[in-house]
Amino acid sequence: MKIIILGAGQVGTSVTETLAGEENDIVVVDDDAKKLQDLKARLDISTLHGNAALPSILQQAGAEDADMLIALTSSDETNMIACQIAYTLFRTPHKICRIRDVDYLSRNELFDRKAIPIDEIISPYQEVTNYISRLIDYPGALQVLNFAEGRVQLVAVHAFYGGPLVGHEIQTIRTHIPSVDTRVAAIYRNDRPFMPTASTIIEADDEVFFIAAQNDIKTVMSEMRKKEDAYRKIMIAGGGNIGETLAKDLEQRFQVKILERDSNRCKVLSEKLNHTLVLNGDASDKELLLDENIDSTDVFCALTNNDEINVMSSMLAKRLGARKVMALINNPAYVDLIQGGEIDIAISPQRITVSCLLRHIRRGDIVNVHSLRHGAAEAIEIIARGDSKSSKVVGRSLDQIPLPEGTIIGALVRDKEVMIAHHDVVIHSDDHVILFVPDTSKVREVEKLFQVGLAFF
Amino acid sequence: MLIEELITPERTLSGVPGGSKKRLLETISEFVTQLHPETDAEDIFDALIERERLGSTGIGEGVAIPHCRLKICDEAIGILFTLKEPIDFDAVDSKPVDLVFALLVPEDAVNEHLKALQIIAERLKDPAYKYHLRQAKTDEELYRAAISPVCLT
Repeated sequence: MKIIILGAGQVGTSVTETLAGEENDIVVVDDDAKKLQDLKARLDISTLHGNAALPSILQQAGAEDADMLIALTSSDETNMIACQIAYTLFRTPHKICRIRDVDYLSRNELFDRKAIPIDEIISPYQEVTNYISRLIDYPGALQVLNFAEGRVQLVAVHAFYGGPLVGHEIQTIRTHIPSVDTRVAAIYRNDRPFMPTASTIIEADDEVFFIAAQNDIKTVMSEMRKKEDAYRKIMIAGGGNIGETLAKDLEQRFQVKILERDSNRCKVLSEKLNHTLVLNGDASDKELLLDENIDSTDVFCALTNNDEINVMSSMLAKRLGARKVMALINNPAYVDLIQGGEIDIAISPQRITVSCLLRHIRRGDIVNVHSLRHGAAEAIEIIARGDSKSSKVVGRSLDQIPLPEGTIIGALVRDKEVMIAHHDVVIHSDDHVILFVPDTSKVREVEKLFQVGLAFF
Repeated sequence: MLIEELITPERTLSGVPGGSKKRLLETISEFVTQLHPETDAEDIFDALIERERLGSTGIGEGVAIPHCRLKICDEAIGILFTLKEPIDFDAVDSKPVDLVFALLVPEDAVNEHLKALQIIAERLKDPAYKYHLRQAKTDEELYRAAISPVCLT
């Protein structure tokens, strides 16, 4: 594919890295020559220096021939106008646009062919909010990913003493919880992946990825580690865009407090949030945290735009007795260093954004892509199209499907019904198939496997 | 069904500038709309792009058979292009494409369309047939080569 990427910031760079190795012809446009130089030195791509929204620049970047435009500059307005120009002048077929300001997203009719022609909008704030919100719904989970509108979830947990399955073979789960069907997709032991089989023994500290229907997730989790009580009290540090959307999302289900330094912003927040307690103060103010009963807080989320404040305030909160702490970390290089010590979960907005971009970039009828393990692995939801003649998967049972090495099918969703994958299940046309690909270099093979043959109209 | 039931001399062009996959599909859409003003180039382009998204119609050895259904057409429309320069078409064998047989069909009569597609694909697998198509210098030569009976070599 010929792809034009506007913006060589953190997300633009990660997307370029992902796509450069996959038979694509990529041009990156940015007004910062230095950033382009760095990218070009590392990757097999072309670059163009200039204002990404200008018709002449888009033309020079090859818009007449491009299959896809991905607008990721730091300006929402530049991104939108670039999509408009690409459509009007060059009929670019796929236009993906990042829009940060949620104000633009409140009116769907804006993003229509007749108005602002964007095919897919990436809204980082909303995505990050959803991500955190799911973690709060499942105490103890490291990652919770949705497929088929949340009917199926892939959950990562650390196995721990106290979980009935720990120290036993995976297959014994059937005798423990016979009414629940699940599939262990992958196990990471000492940070290395290995393919689980029915007789694999789960060890304490294994990072286990399993797939199950939404209703069964908590039951399966309690097999891997002692069941944790549901969270009730949430404290959010930082009342910016993410803090606000998260509070709005949580305030009906949880008791939510939000700390914000700027008193004017506090006024705005208190008008918008009806059930959240808005507090004017600093997230790293020990007295304030104690006054607000940090020791009985279930989750402390540090979501300011400053990594250092997020790290320090969540460490402080943990030491003062908060049960779980999560920190938003903008610098991708720090994310893995930070998670797992005093800070329970480090959240990378870049990774979340890249993950949701991949959904629109991958070939085939893909509904969801989640990037896992620092981009080394992917979980994919893809719709099987065609019939037994035009498809290599439809009409075949799972054990007949030539999946790339290590890749497994975890579940199918057929007409909203969840079916956990067993070797004799036959794929039907229009099934949503959920796959775990432990090695991203195999994704292209998966795409090819699911592509329809010529005889598809 | 024979190839001449699908193409006409006016729908057969040799040495078309390809540019890229996207531009070629645009060229095809606009070309159809010129011959059939009742159709809409943007609809055709969208339908062809959507079909390619589910799997490339580049069947290998330089051949592509882009196709889609079209609401307002009442009979199958075939278009044969040879390209001036081969283009990347995301084909199964990753080889560039220079022979393009586009097929637009009405919404119904699925089996008939599948048969047409099969016939086109069969013929375009024949190396001698492809050789003659590629040798054609003019639109007329190309049309004659396209409708000439199967030559087995």
